[in-house]
Amino acid sequence: MSQQAKQYKAIGEDLWKNRTEKVNAELFSFTYGALVVQMIKDYENYVEVNKQLEKMGYNIGTRLIEDFLARTSLPRCVDFRETAEVISKVGFKTFINITPTISFPSATSQQQSPRNEVAGMTGPTEFILTFDENPLAEFAELPLDAMGSKYAKAAEEKKVLNWDQKEIGGQDEGLWFSNVLCGVIRGSLEMLQMQVEATFVSDRLRGDDSTDIHVKLIRIMEEEQPINDE
Amino acid sequence: MTIYALYIYDRHCECIYYHDWHQTRKPQPPRAGGTYRRDVARYDNDGEGDVATEEEVAKRKGTVAGLPFDEQAKLVYGVLLSLRNMVKKLSGRDSEQFTAYRTSSYKFHLYTTPTNFHFIMMSDPLADSLRGVLRQLYVGPFLAYVVRNPLVDWDREGQDGKESREKGVDNDLTSSDTRDR
Repeated sequence: MSQQAKQYKAIGEDLWKNRTEKVNAELFSFTYGALVVQMIKDYENYVEVNKQLEKMGYNIGTRLIEDFLARTSLPRCVDFRETAEVISKVGFKTFINITPTISFPSATSQQQSPRNEVAGMTGPTEFILTFDENPLAEFAELPLDAMGSKYAKAAEEKKVLNWDQKEIGGQDEGLWFSNVLCGVIRGSLEMLQMQVEATFVSDRLRGDDSTDIHVKLIRIMEEEQPINDE
Repeated sequence: MTIYALYIYDRHCECIYYHDWHQTRKPQPPRAGGTYRRDVARYDNDGEGDVATEEEVAKRKGTVAGLPFDEQAKLVYGVLLSLRNMVKKLSGRDSEQFTAYRTSSYKFHLYTTPTNFHFIMMSDPLADSLRGVLRQLYVGPFLAYVVRNPLVDWDREGQDGKESREKGVDNDLTSSDTRDR
């Protein structure tokens, strides 16, 4: 681990220990679970629920970033790699006491995908956060019809038993249970003039091997100028 | 040390908060028909409505004290913007920070958050740097009463949180005022 990464880890741990008000973790995860269940009942469509969760997260993120800055007083990051470090080691640590692992896909798969160029940025422009633990989904289990295309297809071919026949739309995409996290990342980075795209690529709840969020930098936003009316 | 006034601008370059502790005359209301919608300052209302008529504006022209509040707010932001850009251009580095300037009658302090909220404070010319105070303001009352206030429409922030914010800011600054004097 680099010197810088160690430093962020120390900052994150200090913030979590000394400056974070804590709530009962079980209460937190049950409340979130209840919220998601209620939304599924209300919308009856997983795609719509994913969208709403992301939107909620965005609204949380736009305010949470102020809280974060007030606590840490960290300077602006020099590149996106540093941003990733701070999100994982300070951001996630401070607010939900986890440290997702970061990896940079662009280093290995650069040949296949055209390089995502962002003006004014050096270094990587995307990263993947891998969650070893996820407090939101601590007690959650998805029904088969929420697990996405893999199972939807199997169900069509009648290979899966006890398929839930309830009329819930969007079964092809399925539910991204912790989609609120994507929104938080997008909202908070947007306040720092970084427009990003954050999406879940896999989730243990769906039977995948790991829980991954892919974050991709779209562009650095210009600072707004006052309207000139003279 | 005396503190004269405080301005807070959001990232849409709009003045979202203004308070003056030592002003004898209240700012003039913004012109009628202008784009300025916010009820930020307490205006000098001589029994008239919220906005000034063209006639009044014409009468006041030429005196700084008679500037309508929207113009005053815009000028303060203009100073910030142009000085900051000049400082950056002169040094050639983007990280160069513009923090304060001084005239014979006041000192202008600036604290900008990474999310582009600008906290500006006017104090007497001999004051020390007030960036610490401005940061405290951000960490304290601003976070507690604005950011954490569900009634504040965050991106187009309204004035719902104004009262409690005013109280917080007042308490904070009166205390720093007396402490530093």
